[in-house]
Amino acid sequence: MELGLAVLDQQVVDRHDRMMGKVDGLVLETRPGEPARVTHIVVGGTTLLWRIHRGLARWVERRRGTDGRPDLIPWSRVLRVGVDVKVDVDSSRSPALHWERWVRDHVIGRIPGA
Amino acid sequence: MSKLLEIALGIVTGIGGFLEAGSLATAAQAGATFGFQLAWAIGLGIICIAFLIEMAGRFAAVSRHTLPDAMRERFGIRFFLVPLVAVGLVSFLVLASEIGGVCLALQFASGIGFQWWALPVAALVWLFLWKGTFGMVEKGASLLGLVTLAFVVGAFRLDPPVGQVAARLLPSLPQQDSAKYWFMAVSIIGASVSPYLFYFYSAGAVEDGWDVSYLGINRLVAGLGMTFGGVVAIAVLVCAAMVLHPLGIQVSRYEQIPLILVTPLGRTGFVLFIASLAIACFGAALEIALQLSYLAAQGFGWRWGENLRPREAARFTLVYTVCLPLAGLVIVTGIDPLKLTVFSMALTALSLPVTVVPLLVLMNDPTYLGERTNGWLSNAAVLAVGFVACVVALVAIPLQLMGS
Amino acid sequence: MTAKASVRLERLLGRRVIDAHGREVGTIDDLVAEPAGDEYLVTHVVLTSSNRLSRLLGFLHQVPTFRALGLSRRPRIRRIPWTWLDLSDPEHPRLLPTVTDRS
Repeated sequence: MELGLAVLDQQVVDRHDRMMGKVDGLVLETRPGEPARVTHIVVGGTTLLWRIHRGLARWVERRRGTDGRPDLIPWSRVLRVGVDVKVDVDSSRSPALHWERWVRDHVIGRIPGA
Repeated sequence: MSKLLEIALGIVTGIGGFLEAGSLATAAQAGATFGFQLAWAIGLGIICIAFLIEMAGRFAAVSRHTLPDAMRERFGIRFFLVPLVAVGLVSFLVLASEIGGVCLALQFASGIGFQWWALPVAALVWLFLWKGTFGMVEKGASLLGLVTLAFVVGAFRLDPPVGQVAARLLPSLPQQDSAKYWFMAVSIIGASVSPYLFYFYSAGAVEDGWDVSYLGINRLVAGLGMTFGGVVAIAVLVCAAMVLHPLGIQVSRYEQIPLILVTPLGRTGFVLFIASLAIACFGAALEIALQLSYLAAQGFGWRWGENLRPREAARFTLVYTVCLPLAGLVIVTGIDPLKLTVFSMALTALSLPVTVVPLLVLMNDPTYLGERTNGWLSNAAVLAVGFVACVVALVAIPLQLMGS
Repeated sequence: MTAKASVRLERLLGRRVIDAHGREVGTIDDLVAEPAGDEYLVTHVVLTSSNRLSRLLGFLHQVPTFRALGLSRRPRIRRIPWTWLDLSDPEHPRLLPTVTDRS
């Protein structure tokens, strides 16, 4: 399986098939002289920004003092990799949807009829 | 719903939804300035968009992915940003043009300047998206758009020389005003082949849950819907050619355009013109604003769906909530809506290779389409039109800017 | 307990790889992982040409029309074992000095 092609940038859905973002990154545990192990998929935070422009990502992280708290989902929780990546997680608690909840509570939710 | 009814509805949607600010303005200007001579540009645009729409529908039905989603997956974020920004910027300008079109219609009807209508119109478009469902937006606006058939009626009433019109469906070289001719040709093509059209169609196919069994319907809707829709655009050109061209009016000012329906249809023609302009542009504004939301949401993996309540897809909703007032502000500045429209169409033509090549890479990828990848004709037709239009636009746009 | 060393896949993609003599080997295009029980282990690195034009022509090769017109070139890719990589500086991957690049 080519990780970049099959996993990276795929849509991630939670255990209830609700969308929770895209696979923005993958964590690989390196061991000297041995194949690396895929340990986590990363959703959210400044992960994507790092891929677009490193300088900008570094600046944002320094200013906010955080990497945006991406969701690091253990690879063991990945249920399938196919049309999308399904993970055994409840997205309503996931930090990956932090901005979605923020926009809902502070902007969209304030407009009548939302 | 029976398949036959779906086909009929799809074709009717294609007809009613075809005309919008861009196709109307470019066809009217072309008819007024060059008579029937640029009919071929509309024909070429129709062929190209028919191929693109068929592709977009086939992609959604077979791969079950939307285009922005697949582009991000396939190209990675950095290369996805290129079509994202190009399509996003061009679509935003076209959105402003559509709002401008509605505002002009309201100015014709009320006498109140178009700038005053900009923000209220943007707000109304927003309200329809906020409250409406996908079916309402897609089908409702296009069915109402059937009022644009008034141009077909008007064209018949003017008794055009059909043989001459048919002959002009073949490309010809201009006898004078070459720069303007080619600028109008690419604007017409840009109007017909706007990316928002096939992106929206693809999102619609996914929203409506199309699968492999819809491939036949898709082909019919794309082919017949776009062809019959294109006939409406040709009717606009014919009306302008019969009414304005003999008078030497070259439509440099938008107040001149309603005449093309007034002459054949009298006072009713004026009312029909206003209704057509308002409804066609409003419908297009709804689609483009939604399409901008789809583009961002599907590319970044956010929750999306017009049938969801706004709070269930907050970032998706935020995109059109921000874009609409911004597009309205562009019109408030008082920029000539006609010039903005025609110029955005030319820019669309210029950006065609950037929007079309990523699509073609996807359409030839068996991972997404299995055996149903593009045939040689689909690839060649779209590439040829896209690149030629871009090259001509590269020359014609600066010349037009220098000339005006 | 030693902290586990890790790298990010997305930060490796697109990085140029040089060998122990400083010669360019290629650009990381992708990583290949194989299942091993419940886990996935990265076994190979897919390298592509570092030349931008070459990569563009390789990209266009996916559309048959460009192929037919001769406007594209087959993308040059090769796979090397993951263990050949020295990632002590993840931003500048190198081949281990013990590896002889037989290209």
